[in-house]
Amino acid sequence: MAIFELGEVKIEVDEDGFMQEPDVWNETVAAALATTEGVDDLTEEHWKVVNYLRDYYLKFGIAPMIRKLCKETGFPLKKIYELFPSGPAKGACKVAGLAKPTGCV
Amino acid sequence: MAMSEKAKEFNQLFKERLNRQHVLSLTACAHCGMCNDSCHYFLADNDPKMTPAAKADSIRGIYKGHYDWLGKIVPFWVGSRQVKTDEDLERLKDVVFGSCTGCRRCTINCPFGVDMAGIVSLTRSCLVDVEVAPEGVLTVMKDQWETGNQMAVSKEDYLETLEWLEEEVQMELDDADFKVPIDKEGSDFVFVINPREVKYAPLSLQAAFKIFHVAGLDWTMPSEGWDNTNFGLFSGKADLGGHMGNLAYNHAKQLGVNRMVISECGHGFLSTKWEAPNWGKANPLPFEMISILELMVDLINTGTIILDPKKNPLPVTYHDPCNLSRSSGLTEEPRFCLKRSCLDFREMIPNRADSYCCTGGGGAMSMAEYAKKRLSVAKKKADQIRETGAAIVTTACHNCVDGLSDLIKHYDLKYEINGKSMWLPVKNVCELVADAIVIPMELPKRKPRVKEIVKPVKVLVIDDQPDIVDYLEALLQDNGYEVITAHDGDEGIEKAKADRPDLITLDVSMPGKSGVTVFHELRNTPTFEDIPIFIVTGVVDFRQLMYQKTVEAPEGFMQKPINPEVFLMTVDRLTDRTRQKVAVEESGKPA
Repeated sequence: MAIFELGEVKIEVDEDGFMQEPDVWNETVAAALATTEGVDDLTEEHWKVVNYLRDYYLKFGIAPMIRKLCKETGFPLKKIYELFPSGPAKGACKVAGLAKPTGCV
Repeated sequence: MAMSEKAKEFNQLFKERLNRQHVLSLTACAHCGMCNDSCHYFLADNDPKMTPAAKADSIRGIYKGHYDWLGKIVPFWVGSRQVKTDEDLERLKDVVFGSCTGCRRCTINCPFGVDMAGIVSLTRSCLVDVEVAPEGVLTVMKDQWETGNQMAVSKEDYLETLEWLEEEVQMELDDADFKVPIDKEGSDFVFVINPREVKYAPLSLQAAFKIFHVAGLDWTMPSEGWDNTNFGLFSGKADLGGHMGNLAYNHAKQLGVNRMVISECGHGFLSTKWEAPNWGKANPLPFEMISILELMVDLINTGTIILDPKKNPLPVTYHDPCNLSRSSGLTEEPRFCLKRSCLDFREMIPNRADSYCCTGGGGAMSMAEYAKKRLSVAKKKADQIRETGAAIVTTACHNCVDGLSDLIKHYDLKYEINGKSMWLPVKNVCELVADAIVIPMELPKRKPRVKEIVKPVKVLVIDDQPDIVDYLEALLQDNGYEVITAHDGDEGIEKAKADRPDLITLDVSMPGKSGVTVFHELRNTPTFEDIPIFIVTGVVDFRQLMYQKTVEAPEGFMQKPINPEVFLMTVDRLTDRTRQKVAVEESGKPA
C-alpha cells in the first residue's frame, strides 16, 4: 500500500496510484489525482466525465463501458482522450476515485 | 517444523504437474551467466538475485528437494530448498509473479534453451491452486470462468458497443451501408478480440472495422466466444486455458467460418493459436487461425487496400510483443504494414526476437502489488524508446499498449507537437493502417480470398571464414531474413545467379577469386547489376580500390569486427528499397 500526498490531500492508493477508499474522494482529491495524469486544470468538461464515472461506480460498483461514457456525456471518443491523455481506464477512472480496472489494463 | 497445509498441497501439485520439459529446464542450467544480460529485471540495477538463473534456482531447489538424492541428504550442497511454510510460498509468489513476465528473452540466449516461462508457469499453476497469487490474477480467472471474458462484460453491453461502433464507422466513412455483422453463418472469417477493446479502448476495433469494410471482406463478429485473451496462460492453469479456447472454437465451428482472425493481442494470439487447442484437446480444428497483422499484409500485398503513408507523417517506432516476436515469429508483418502506412519508421534497438519486454507481460498489468517494481525495471525499455526520437509508439498487443503507456508516463517521455508537449501515444498497428487507407470512390463489393505471407528478404553471405559465415547467417535468420551462404568467390557468383538474392554481403580478401573480382563480375552482368552489395571486410585499403573502378560503388560498406546493430541497420536500409520495389511491381500501385 502506498500513500499519495499533494498539498492538503493525503490518501491511500495502490501501487498503480488508484484510490483504496472511495469514500474519502472529494473534488480536491480529484484535482490532486489529476496532476498525476497530466491534467493540471479540471475544466467543466473534465468534471462532466468524472462525475458520470463516479455516479456509475457508486451505483454499480464497476466502471461503465466506454460506450456509456461517450453516450451519457455526449463526448466523442477522441474528446475523452484529449481530456485524459492516458485514456478512460487509467486516466479518467483514476481521477474519479475508482479502483483499478481488472485485467489487461 | 510442521509443514503448513498449503505447502503440503503445493508440493503434491508440483510433483504431479512436473513434466519432461520442466525437468530438462530444471536440470540443464550450468549457471554460466549467459542469461543475465537478457533480463530487464536484472539490467535495471544489476541485482544478482534478479538474474534468470537465480530466480530459476528458487524453483530448481524444490525439484532437487524432491528428486535429487544429494538434495535429500545434503540439501545445502546442491541448493535444494524445501517449501514448508506459507512464508516460503509468499516468497515464491514474489519470484514467479513479481519478478518474471515470462518473456523468454533469457531462453533464446541460453545455450541449453532453458524454458524459464515454462517452469514459472508450472510454479504459478501450483500457487494459484493454493490461492497464493496476486488478487488481480484470481479475479480475472474467476471472471473468465464465470462470464467467458476477462472483464466480465455482459452480452448486452458487448452487443450494444458493437452497434455503437457501427454508427461511429458509418459517420467516419459517411457510408450508411456499413454494418457490423453478428454471427453471420458461412462468413470467410470471424474476428476475436481483447475485452479491453470493447470495455475501454475501442479505437483499434473501429480501425479494424474500417479496414474490413474498405477491403470489402466477408466477416463477422461472434456473439459469444469473442474473447481471445486467456488467463490460463498467465496462471499456468490448462483447464481454464482449454475452456477459454473452446468457447471461441466452438462458436466459430457453429458459424462455419474458414478462418479465425485474432486481433492485436500478444498472449491472446499465442494462447488461441498455439496453446489452447492442446489445453482444450480441440485439434483438429476446421478453420485456420491468423493474426490481423497477417490479414493486413495480404490486403496490402494484393492491392485490396491502398495506403498513403503521407497521412502519417510523424516518426513512428514499433515495439515487438514477446508473444508475437519471440514465441510466434511474427516480426516482419507489422513492419511491412507500418513501413507502408507512415513516412518515417524507426527501429528500436534491439528489436524483433531480441526485443525487451514492455514490462507489463505475463499478466503483470493485473498485479497492482508489483506495479512499482515493474516501473522501476522499465528503464531499459524507456531508454530504448527515447533513443528512437519517435512521436508515436506502435505495438501489436493491447497489453503492451498499457505497459508502454505506463512507463512512458513514469519516465516522462514526451514529444512536442504544435508547441504542446505530450506523452507519447501508444497505438496498435491497425490504427495506423486505417489512418493511411485511401478510401476509393466506390467501395468494393468483391470478396477476395488471399493466402499469402510476406516474402522474406533473401541475403547471400559470401565470406571465406566459416565462423563469420555462421555468425552472419544466425544473425540474419534471427532477424527474419532468408540466408544463402557461399564460402568463396566462385560459389558466390554461382549462387547469386541461381538464387537471385535481394542483397549480397561480400568479403574482400578471399583465396581464389577475390571480393573485388566478384564485385566487378556481378556489376558487369546484365540483370544482376542492380542487386545491392554490402562490403564487409577487415582490409580497409581495398575499399579505395573498389571505388576507383568504373562501375557503380557498393551500396554499403563495413569494417570488421562486425557490430551487429550497425550491420543489421545497413542490411535493413539496403533491402527496404527492394521490398518497396517488389510491392510496387506486385500491386501495380504505389506502396
